[in-house]
Amino acid sequence: MFKFLVNPNKFNKFADIILKPLVIITLLTLIAGLLLVYLSPLDYQQGLTVKIMYIHVPSAWLALLTYAIMTIYSIIGLAFKIPFSFIINKAIAPIGAVFTILCLFSGSMWGKPMWGTWWVWDARLTSVAILFILYLLIIFLNHTFENREVREKTIAIFILIGSINLPIIKFSVDWWNTLHQPASISKLSSPSIDISMLQPLLVMTVAFSLVGLIIAILRIKAEILMRKNYL
Amino acid sequence: MGLIKKIFFFFKRELNLFYSNIADLFSNILFFFLSIFIFVFALGADEQFLKNIGVGIIWSLLLLSSTLSLRKFYEDDFNNGVIKIIHMSGISYELIVFLKIMSHFFFVQIPFLISIPIACIFFNLPINEVYNLILTFIIGSLILSCLGSISASMNLLNKTNFSIGSLIVLLFFIPVIIFSIGINNSEASFSSLINLLLGIALIFLGISPWSSASFIKLAIRNK
Repeated sequence: MFKFLVNPNKFNKFADIILKPLVIITLLTLIAGLLLVYLSPLDYQQGLTVKIMYIHVPSAWLALLTYAIMTIYSIIGLAFKIPFSFIINKAIAPIGAVFTILCLFSGSMWGKPMWGTWWVWDARLTSVAILFILYLLIIFLNHTFENREVREKTIAIFILIGSINLPIIKFSVDWWNTLHQPASISKLSSPSIDISMLQPLLVMTVAFSLVGLIIAILRIKAEILMRKNYL
Repeated sequence: MGLIKKIFFFFKRELNLFYSNIADLFSNILFFFLSIFIFVFALGADEQFLKNIGVGIIWSLLLLSSTLSLRKFYEDDFNNGVIKIIHMSGISYELIVFLKIMSHFFFVQIPFLISIPIACIFFNLPINEVYNLILTFIIGSLILSCLGSISASMNLLNKTNFSIGSLIVLLFFIPVIIFSIGINNSEASFSSLINLLLGIALIFLGISPWSSASFIKLAIRNK
């Protein structure tokens, strides 16, 4: 059933079926999310700037999620020798980089009115900046080696070593005293965010991940065609 | 020939290479001192100011000057086939990497220690900071050797973009710098930071033989 996750041909067929409905669903979710964000209440302290959250938080989650997916696919690719996982690693690294820079940029825009500074050397901010450098290094490595096998495996091992950064980002707000607030939404406890703000946030998260998914599908399809010498 | 004897010959060979390449080490140390002078010229010779930022400058320059010679880590042995010959004598690639890290630590990083007290004189550092610096450098240089092994083995087949190896070393060395500088901070507890540094060293001693060996195998297969 889940063969399309590791087999390029099955993935192509699956992507052809799913792409058009996915675009429609994404458009609907994005419009609904933007409407919900427009209608959502203002914060009693932060005012209008709280609406930056609806971009900042989903892009931060997706930046982490993209790296986690790359880590899982690197393990699969190295352990079971499945070349499709290296295609995915190459295809989704720029998407993760874009989400990370979006997160950093929107956080900077939010930090200026709230904290009074564009940038502080805080544990959360610094570790996300390091995540961005990791993404950039992965993209550079994609253009470095001539031999394809060497390139792919090198990138996979590099991703595995760099995944030390993920738990650091996740727990940085708990381990160190940071200016950045701790997570409002966690699985173990009830969210400390009001329901009227939680709804648009979740819808925006779904919309962002669907947009990322569409770009990922297109990039993976292009990469498969390139490997087959069609492009 | 027993394993102990093989390891003994390995270190003997490394010692001979170290003696023949000793000019390389001295030029690294010279680079370190010259860049300290350049820092002092650029920042001005205010004594109190230099005392405050001395440890940070020394650590960053130590890191930069050790990344200078990292390209040589495996390149010569790989190009003239010595790694393959040692492997044929019955030592696995992982053990070769581990021995190489140890020899780099003993023959390149430990001799560097003589330059640290002299550098501390230039910045008028208090004596307990000098002790802390030497202690953290011994642990940090072990981590630096592991990272150097990873980045050098990664770059074996890289013909175009050599600076990416130094980028990787600098990137993964950030936590070590944070904890090593934090040890001089009076609020932080000394033993917990030392434990953290030792933990990082253990992590890298664990993963660097595995990852470097897989890079070397990959490079040998595709040479």
